Amino acid sequence: MDEFQAEDETTFVVEEVSKIIKESVEATIGGNTYQHNRVNQWTTNVVEQCLSQLSKLGKPFKYIVTCVIMQKNGAGLQTANACFWDNTTDGSCAVRWENKSMYCIVTVFGLAI
Amino acid sequence: MMGTSDTYLIRPNHQEKFKPAVVKECIREVVRERLTGVRYDDEEVRQLSTTLADSIKDRVKKAGFDRYKLTVQVVIGEQRGQGVKMSTRCFWDADTDSYAEDVFITENLFCVVVVFGSYYY
Repeated sequence: MDEFQAEDETTFVVEEVSKIIKESVEATIGGNTYQHNRVNQWTTNVVEQCLSQLSKLGKPFKYIVTCVIMQKNGAGLQTANACFWDNTTDGSCAVRWENKSMYCIVTVFGLAI
Repeated sequence: MMGTSDTYLIRPNHQEKFKPAVVKECIREVVRERLTGVRYDDEEVRQLSTTLADSIKDRVKKAGFDRYKLTVQVVIGEQRGQGVKMSTRCFWDADTDSYAEDVFITENLFCVVVVFGSYYY
Protein backbone atom coordinates (compact mmCIF):
# COMPACT_ATOMS: atom_id res chain seq x y z
CA MET A 1 0.00 0.00 0.00
CA ASP A 2 1.28 3.47 -0.74
CA GLU A 3 1.69 5.84 2.16
CA PHE A 4 0.76 9.40 1.42
CA GLN A 5 2.14 12.21 3.49
CA ALA A 6 -0.48 14.18 5.37
CA GLU A 7 -0.95 17.60 3.83
CA ASP A 8 0.34 19.16 7.00
CA GLU A 9 3.78 17.79 6.45
CA THR A 10 4.40 19.19 3.03
CA THR A 11 2.97 22.68 3.27
CA PHE A 12 4.26 25.69 5.12
CA VAL A 13 2.23 26.16 8.31
CA VAL A 14 2.31 29.84 9.20
CA GLU A 15 1.03 29.61 12.79
CA GLU A 16 3.60 27.07 13.79
CA VAL A 17 6.45 29.09 12.36
CA SER A 18 5.14 32.31 13.87
CA LYS A 19 5.15 30.69 17.28
CA ILE A 20 8.75 29.55 16.86
CA ILE A 21 9.84 33.04 15.84
CA LYS A 22 8.11 34.72 18.78
CA GLU A 23 9.70 32.32 21.24
CA SER A 24 13.18 32.85 19.81
CA VAL A 25 12.88 36.62 19.90
CA GLU A 26 11.52 36.70 23.44
CA ALA A 27 14.24 34.39 24.69
CA THR A 28 17.05 36.43 23.12
CA ILE A 29 16.08 40.07 23.53
CA GLY A 30 13.05 39.78 25.79
CA GLY A 31 13.77 42.28 28.52
CA ASN A 32 16.74 44.11 27.02
CA THR A 33 17.44 47.68 25.96
CA TYR A 34 19.17 48.48 22.68
CA GLN A 35 22.93 48.18 23.08
CA HIS A 36 25.09 48.76 20.04
CA ASN A 37 27.80 46.36 21.08
CA ARG A 38 25.38 43.50 21.66
CA VAL A 39 23.18 43.78 18.59
CA ASN A 40 25.48 41.64 16.52
CA GLN A 41 25.18 38.78 18.93
CA TRP A 42 21.42 39.24 19.34
CA THR A 43 20.60 39.05 15.65
CA THR A 44 22.82 36.00 15.27
CA ASN A 45 21.19 34.29 18.23
CA VAL A 46 17.63 34.99 17.11
CA VAL A 47 18.34 33.71 13.65
CA GLU A 48 20.22 30.61 14.74
CA GLN A 49 17.63 29.68 17.33
CA CYS A 50 14.79 30.03 14.81
CA LEU A 51 16.65 27.93 12.31
CA SER A 52 17.43 25.12 14.72
CA GLN A 53 13.80 24.96 15.89
CA LEU A 54 12.61 24.95 12.28
CA SER A 55 14.94 22.16 11.26
CA LYS A 56 13.73 20.12 14.25
CA LEU A 57 10.25 20.14 12.67
CA GLY A 58 11.63 17.60 10.24
CA LYS A 59 9.71 18.84 7.21
CA PRO A 60 11.11 18.60 3.66
CA PHE A 61 11.81 22.33 3.45
CA LYS A 62 14.70 24.68 2.86
CA TYR A 63 14.51 27.70 5.19
CA ILE A 64 15.75 31.28 4.96
CA VAL A 65 15.54 33.38 8.13
CA THR A 66 16.22 37.13 8.25
CA CYS A 67 16.25 39.35 11.32
CA VAL A 68 16.43 43.15 11.45
CA ILE A 69 16.91 44.91 14.77
CA MET A 70 16.54 48.69 14.78
CA GLN A 71 16.87 51.22 17.54
CA LYS A 72 13.78 53.33 18.18
CA ASN A 73 14.37 56.95 17.40
CA GLY A 74 11.45 58.00 15.26
CA ALA A 75 12.89 56.85 11.97
CA GLY A 76 10.79 54.85 9.57
CA LEU A 77 11.53 51.38 8.18
CA GLN A 78 9.80 49.49 5.40
CA THR A 79 10.39 45.90 4.26
CA ALA A 80 9.00 44.22 1.14
CA ASN A 81 9.42 40.76 -0.37
CA ALA A 82 8.85 39.36 -3.83
CA CYS A 83 9.10 35.63 -4.46
CA PHE A 84 9.18 33.32 -7.44
CA TRP A 85 8.14 29.93 -6.10
CA ASP A 86 5.38 27.35 -5.91
CA ASN A 87 2.36 28.89 -4.20
CA THR A 88 0.83 25.59 -3.17
CA THR A 89 3.76 24.43 -1.05
CA ASP A 90 5.96 27.41 -0.23
CA GLY A 91 5.28 30.24 2.17
CA SER A 92 6.64 32.99 4.33
CA CYS A 93 5.97 34.39 7.76
CA ALA A 94 6.96 37.80 9.10
CA VAL A 95 6.81 38.76 12.76
CA ARG A 96 7.12 42.31 14.08
CA TRP A 97 8.19 42.64 17.68
CA GLU A 98 9.00 45.73 19.72
CA ASN A 99 9.81 46.97 23.16
CA LYS A 100 10.57 50.44 24.53
CA SER A 101 13.96 50.80 22.86
CA MET A 102 13.98 48.75 19.70
CA TYR A 103 12.09 47.06 16.88
CA CYS A 104 12.77 43.54 15.70
CA ILE A 105 11.42 42.18 12.41
CA VAL A 106 11.95 38.49 11.63
CA THR A 107 11.02 36.93 8.28
CA VAL A 108 11.08 33.20 7.55
CA PHE A 109 10.77 31.80 4.03
CA GLY A 110 10.06 28.08 3.59
CA LEU A 111 10.76 26.49 0.20
CA ALA A 112 9.60 22.94 -0.41
CA ILE A 113 12.01 20.43 -1.81
CA MET B 1 6.23 26.28 -12.99
CA MET B 2 9.63 25.42 -14.44
CA GLY B 3 10.66 25.63 -18.11
CA THR B 4 11.27 22.75 -20.46
CA SER B 5 14.68 21.70 -19.06
CA ASP B 6 15.42 18.09 -18.17
CA THR B 7 13.60 17.27 -14.96
CA TYR B 8 15.88 14.41 -13.91
CA LEU B 9 18.70 16.83 -13.07
CA ILE B 10 19.42 17.20 -9.38
CA ARG B 11 22.41 19.50 -9.72
CA PRO B 12 22.74 22.59 -11.92
CA ASN B 13 25.52 22.49 -14.47
CA HIS B 14 28.06 25.29 -14.36
CA GLN B 15 26.22 27.51 -16.84
CA GLU B 16 22.97 27.41 -14.88
CA LYS B 17 24.37 27.87 -11.41
CA PHE B 18 23.20 30.86 -9.37
CA LYS B 19 25.91 33.47 -9.80
CA PRO B 20 25.95 36.00 -6.97
CA ALA B 21 28.08 38.48 -8.91
CA VAL B 22 25.64 38.63 -11.81
CA VAL B 23 22.66 39.01 -9.50
CA LYS B 24 24.41 41.69 -7.50
CA GLU B 25 24.83 43.70 -10.69
CA CYS B 26 21.10 43.33 -11.44
CA ILE B 27 20.24 44.59 -7.98
CA ARG B 28 22.70 47.48 -8.22
CA GLU B 29 21.31 48.71 -11.51
CA VAL B 30 17.67 48.64 -10.47
CA VAL B 31 18.28 50.24 -7.08
CA ARG B 32 20.45 53.06 -8.38
CA GLU B 33 17.94 53.79 -11.10
CA ARG B 34 14.97 53.94 -8.73
CA LEU B 35 16.40 55.42 -5.58
CA THR B 36 18.85 58.10 -6.63
CA GLY B 37 17.57 61.43 -5.44
CA VAL B 38 14.62 60.00 -3.50
CA ARG B 39 13.80 61.31 -0.02
CA TYR B 40 12.29 59.04 2.59
CA ASP B 41 8.55 59.59 2.64
CA ASP B 42 6.21 57.13 4.40
CA GLU B 43 3.61 56.68 1.68
CA GLU B 44 6.01 56.78 -1.20
CA VAL B 45 8.38 54.27 0.35
CA ARG B 46 5.57 51.82 0.94
CA GLN B 47 4.82 51.73 -2.79
CA LEU B 48 8.44 51.97 -3.78
CA SER B 49 9.60 49.00 -1.76
CA THR B 50 7.04 46.64 -3.31
CA THR B 51 7.66 47.83 -6.86
CA LEU B 52 11.39 47.61 -6.28
CA ALA B 53 11.10 44.02 -5.05
CA ASP B 54 9.02 43.07 -8.10
CA SER B 55 11.35 44.76 -10.58
CA ILE B 56 14.40 43.09 -9.10
CA LYS B 57 12.65 39.72 -9.15
CA ASP B 58 11.78 40.18 -12.84
CA ARG B 59 15.28 41.34 -13.70
CA VAL B 60 16.86 38.32 -12.04
CA LYS B 61 14.41 35.96 -13.75
CA LYS B 62 15.51 37.36 -17.10
CA ALA B 63 19.14 36.63 -16.20
CA GLY B 64 18.29 32.99 -16.85
CA PHE B 65 18.51 30.99 -13.62
CA ASP B 66 15.76 28.68 -14.81
CA ARG B 67 15.71 25.99 -12.15
CA TYR B 68 15.90 28.40 -9.25
CA LYS B 69 13.21 29.57 -6.87
CA LEU B 70 13.88 33.21 -6.03
CA THR B 71 13.18 35.19 -2.89
CA VAL B 72 13.83 38.93 -2.93
CA GLN B 73 13.81 40.99 0.24
CA VAL B 74 13.98 44.78 0.20
CA VAL B 75 14.48 46.85 3.36
CA ILE B 76 14.30 50.65 3.10
CA GLY B 77 14.85 52.80 6.15
CA GLU B 78 15.18 56.44 7.05
CA GLN B 79 18.59 57.68 8.12
CA ARG B 80 18.31 59.40 11.45
CA GLY B 81 21.40 58.22 13.22
CA GLN B 82 19.76 55.15 14.73
CA GLY B 83 21.56 51.82 14.93
CA VAL B 84 20.35 48.98 12.68
CA LYS B 85 21.58 45.43 12.26
CA MET B 86 20.36 42.81 9.82
CA SER B 87 21.30 39.10 9.91
CA THR B 88 20.27 36.11 7.93
CA ARG B 89 20.85 32.36 8.13
CA CYS B 90 19.72 29.66 5.74
CA PHE B 91 19.05 25.98 5.98
CA TRP B 92 19.61 24.76 2.43
CA ASP B 93 21.89 22.89 0.06
CA ALA B 94 25.16 24.80 0.00
CA ASP B 95 26.26 23.14 -3.25
CA THR B 96 23.40 24.53 -5.28
CA ASP B 97 21.91 27.48 -3.39
CA SER B 98 23.28 30.95 -2.86
CA TYR B 99 22.40 34.60 -2.34
CA ALA B 100 23.42 38.08 -3.46
CA GLU B 101 23.04 41.35 -1.60
CA ASP B 102 23.59 45.05 -2.04
CA VAL B 103 23.39 48.06 0.24
CA PHE B 104 22.59 51.54 -1.07
CA ILE B 105 23.03 54.52 1.24
CA THR B 106 22.17 58.17 0.69
CA GLU B 107 21.94 61.15 2.98
CA ASN B 108 18.47 60.40 4.23
CA LEU B 109 17.76 56.79 3.48
CA PHE B 110 19.39 53.37 3.27
CA CYS B 111 18.26 50.40 1.25
CA VAL B 112 19.30 46.76 1.66
CA VAL B 113 18.35 44.18 -0.95
CA VAL B 114 18.96 40.43 -0.65
CA VAL B 115 18.13 37.89 -3.34
CA PHE B 116 18.16 34.20 -2.38
CA GLY B 117 18.29 31.50 -5.05
CA SER B 118 17.21 27.99 -4.11
CA TYR B 119 17.56 25.14 -6.61
CA TYR B 120 14.40 23.20 -7.42
CA TYR B 121 15.35 19.53 -7.82
